[in-house]
Amino acid sequence: MHLHAIISSAACCIAGALAIFADEAYHIDYHRALVGFPTQDATFFHQPYAGSKASLVYTLSNKLILAAVNPKDGATVWRQALSHPPNITEGFLRAGEEQDTVVSAVGGEVTAWSTSDGRFVWKTKFPDTIVKDVEILELEGGRTSREAKDAIILLSGGEHVIKRLDGKTGAVKWTYEDISGDSPFQVSTSATGIHYISLHSTMLGGVKIKVTSLDLVTGQKLDQYTLSSDNEVISPECVLFAGANSASPLLAWTDKAHTVLKVNIIGTKSVSTFNAPRKGAEEVQKIVLHAPRRINSVSHFLVHYQTASTHSAEVYHVDLKKSVISKAYSLPELTGNGAFTTSTTDANVYFTRITAEEMIVVSSASHGILGRWPFKTSISKDQTFPVHGVSEVVVRSDSAQAVRSAVLFSDGQWVLVRNGELVWTRPELLAGALTAVWADLPEQEALAQELAIEGHENILSAYVHRVKRHIRDLEHLPAWLENLPIRILANFGGKTPSTSTTEIQQDSFGFHKLVIIATEANRLVALDAGSAGRLIWNIDLPKLAPGFTFENPTLSASHGYVEVRDSGLESPLLINTTTGGLVSLQDTTTTQNNLQEGQMLVSFDLIDGELKGFLDKKASSPIWSFLPPNGERIVGITARPIEDRVASIGKVLGDRRVLYKYLNPNLVLVTTVLDATRIASVYLLDSASGNLLHAATHSNVDITRQIPSALSENWFSYSFTLDSTTELSSRGYQLVVTELYESAVPNDRGPLGAAANYSSVQPSSALGDAAKPFVISQTYHTAEEISHMTVTQTRQGITSRELLVALPETNSIVGIPRYVIDPRRPIGRDPTALEVGEGLTKYTPVLQFDPKWYLTHKMEVFGVKKIITSPALLESTSLVFAYGLDVFGTRVTPSFAFDVLGKGFNKLQMLATVAALGVSVLFVAPLVRRKQINSLWQIP
Amino acid sequence: MPSQPPPLPQWVLDLNSTPSPKPKPTAIPDPPGFTAALSAKQRSQSSKNAPQAAARKPPTSEEMDTLKLKKAWELAIAPAKQLPMNAIGMYMTGSTLQIFSIFMVFTLFKTPITAILSLQRTFAPFTTPGTSTRLLPAKLVFVVMNLLMLGLGLWKVNQMGLLPTTRSDWLAWESERTWAERAVPKDWL
Repeated sequence: MHLHAIISSAACCIAGALAIFADEAYHIDYHRALVGFPTQDATFFHQPYAGSKASLVYTLSNKLILAAVNPKDGATVWRQALSHPPNITEGFLRAGEEQDTVVSAVGGEVTAWSTSDGRFVWKTKFPDTIVKDVEILELEGGRTSREAKDAIILLSGGEHVIKRLDGKTGAVKWTYEDISGDSPFQVSTSATGIHYISLHSTMLGGVKIKVTSLDLVTGQKLDQYTLSSDNEVISPECVLFAGANSASPLLAWTDKAHTVLKVNIIGTKSVSTFNAPRKGAEEVQKIVLHAPRRINSVSHFLVHYQTASTHSAEVYHVDLKKSVISKAYSLPELTGNGAFTTSTTDANVYFTRITAEEMIVVSSASHGILGRWPFKTSISKDQTFPVHGVSEVVVRSDSAQAVRSAVLFSDGQWVLVRNGELVWTRPELLAGALTAVWADLPEQEALAQELAIEGHENILSAYVHRVKRHIRDLEHLPAWLENLPIRILANFGGKTPSTSTTEIQQDSFGFHKLVIIATEANRLVALDAGSAGRLIWNIDLPKLAPGFTFENPTLSASHGYVEVRDSGLESPLLINTTTGGLVSLQDTTTTQNNLQEGQMLVSFDLIDGELKGFLDKKASSPIWSFLPPNGERIVGITARPIEDRVASIGKVLGDRRVLYKYLNPNLVLVTTVLDATRIASVYLLDSASGNLLHAATHSNVDITRQIPSALSENWFSYSFTLDSTTELSSRGYQLVVTELYESAVPNDRGPLGAAANYSSVQPSSALGDAAKPFVISQTYHTAEEISHMTVTQTRQGITSRELLVALPETNSIVGIPRYVIDPRRPIGRDPTALEVGEGLTKYTPVLQFDPKWYLTHKMEVFGVKKIITSPALLESTSLVFAYGLDVFGTRVTPSFAFDVLGKGFNKLQMLATVAALGVSVLFVAPLVRRKQINSLWQIP
Repeated sequence: MPSQPPPLPQWVLDLNSTPSPKPKPTAIPDPPGFTAALSAKQRSQSSKNAPQAAARKPPTSEEMDTLKLKKAWELAIAPAKQLPMNAIGMYMTGSTLQIFSIFMVFTLFKTPITAILSLQRTFAPFTTPGTSTRLLPAKLVFVVMNLLMLGLGLWKVNQMGLLPTTRSDWLAWESERTWAERAVPKDWL
């Protein structure tokens, strides 16, 4: 008893001191602060304050994350996740020239943020409306104002209104209501006034563009004219460009086939018509108009024509006095996709053309190339191409000195290229991670396979096999010896040996595992979890399965390859985990299920709100089905992980008796809600037989919030939010932890006794009917909402577990030690000596998240959707990977890193001690010898 | 002429001529309670004078056996005398694992076992043809006493939780049930 008491109390002491050490932070963990794909209209270089030498890249991404990125190293200077209704995907971001705020608009909220640190400045809410456009008023009565510049917003709701917001406070200065019923398109500001562009649908199906001029100061309607665009424009997508703060705001549109380009200078009624270049049979697929945004820049613009295989561009000049638009020159056609960016220096406008191979800078005035930089390292692989970007150009004496462009490539990487050199890469495609899975390195799996062979053979042949394997391993010896000095030196230097970019380092601790991620952009990415989430490969899934779009892919890792499945896909795609290449089914070994011999496989699935179990893979009639009572709706299903090693089948009590754990591999936890009465229930099922083992119901639950749950070993936990509208005394977030035992009585194995086999489908009559577990449960209040939870996994399950929870409010991930949420904590009394020996403390209803539990320490991990864990080769360590918006990975040691030397271990000191001892032995040896001889000669 | 040996030093003379044990009769009586040491002659006289104190004849073999048996019994009981002290010591050291209590427990095990093993040697001085059978109970008691000591050690070890007497000590040999079915979500297949 006391020995156990000592060990368990020692374990508690260790666990109490458990935290991330300062010297391990940023070494064992890695974090990519992602933003998502930057959008073309809402990405720009901007000085954080007037007169600043350096500028930052500001972007509003497709995930509606507002971020400032340092163009020097690609680090996120600040980020803000903009709150938005779930159906809104569009946002606006504008910055006035020499302003220290940026204005964002998403949904019905217009917010200003400080440019240098991302602090909140003001916010104006317009409920039940959606912002359609935001512009910053650069000119006030013909001159730029030094004050905070006002914003013009276009709101679409019940009726469409234009409002002018004060740049300092966000207060509304005036409102103009459009009662015509036309669909609002955009607002544009110019030196003379504000132009409101709306689309008026005609009877014949075309769309007429209506331009309304408003007074700057009062918002009164000054003028209105309609452009007869109904021959070409049939949908808002056909309008290419409108305004954007140039001195001469433009309005450009095309027809559906992209054959003609029509441009109008806003404020005049004349329309210039240009024909799209037609070379060969290829049709123009896309026309993009690039115009400078600066108010004082010359009125030149570039039109980018993209066909399926080539791209070209034409540059036009606007004569403001005559209101004539003329073509200046055209840029030659190049194969592949390209991107054009506009940058201005004083009044001059420069266009940067970025292709997959090079970047070319031209002036808007003439077609002479000012600078050309071929990409030094191949930035784009596998026919990726630039999608769009932003540039800054330095031009001196008619030649471009330097250009830097932040370009989004089609493989989802956001890249900054400076003079053809790759400066940084941000894997923004990971922000749209849908699902992820752990994959072992193939060598590791090969060894595991060999060991399995040896385990199943008789001793002699296994021994022969092992000797053969060791002889085969000798071929690695020269390389190993070669690397030995480097490794020893690296060990003493305290540095890990650097790995080359392509090679995946195999390590003896098993930290180098791959995480395979499927993203929203239908790409499959592999990261090396052992070397700070380095990207190993990045492939395009539709290329492997032509003509198929993945909607909800599922991944599963097998020996050396990953299976990608989707509901519409006939046979799964098999992809090599190390190379990302396609593997044919013949090359793979047969998939091994985790079935033991003689085990019957039951699969279950949620079909039409009902959980059904099937004996066969092919959907025949179900052997059981579970429909929650009272019309409850199933919101979540959590099954025990396939690999869930349990070291001990019982829990040793303080008096050394044993509570036997109810270890059923087929446990599944179903969470349901009843919308009408705000009730949430959990049902624990035996998924082989469909038997209900345990049920719990909670009333007054906010059913709009998530109910995350986790199931492992013999316990499960779930969390929910109590409804804030009820009159209950208890509100907030609750975490429920439940343990299952075979019997309430210690030393008793319950109704099944010592039976070694059990079938829940066909229970033997002698054992009674289905054995139900003994359940104990405790509930804790948490200070924050939990959006996702999972449990750490280790190789043998000896290490105690941690419940990893994602906290969206503080953007962090917390590892709650298992002993803290033990449901056997004594309630209302201090623990007895025996309970203290077990490590139980008195129950407290509120679970405070100890700052030491925070795995993310200083990092802010945005938008965690899921956390996955995997055992390392070290028993003490579990690998953790979280994805969603950001990507975060770390290693956790819930019972301390007991099987590996810490960083604090001084190897030099140890060696010095050994050497000193050796030297001292050399000195002492003659003395001792002399003494022994003398003692022989002395009379006793 | 042979030289005259030097005169003997005073201390040699003193040594050779010890003063007579019988001091010269003086008027001063001996202090009360002082008995002068008797010379051998006086002793023989006094023994003759005492009729009850006859000349001691050597003990018979029966008497020797009885004596030896008595001595053997004393030896047999001896461990019991240490028992209370040991018990108090064991109790006082508590049930935690410390270097002192481990040493004490070690001696508690070592002493009885070595004592039992060297049983014949311990009782060899008392073994005669006459006592060999009568010595058996004494030996038995000796063994029992040592076993008691051993029992104390066992109790102590049990207190320290080192004896595998409970279910939890054998938990590692118990195995998880095998389930005849394995159910997994369909996505995992």
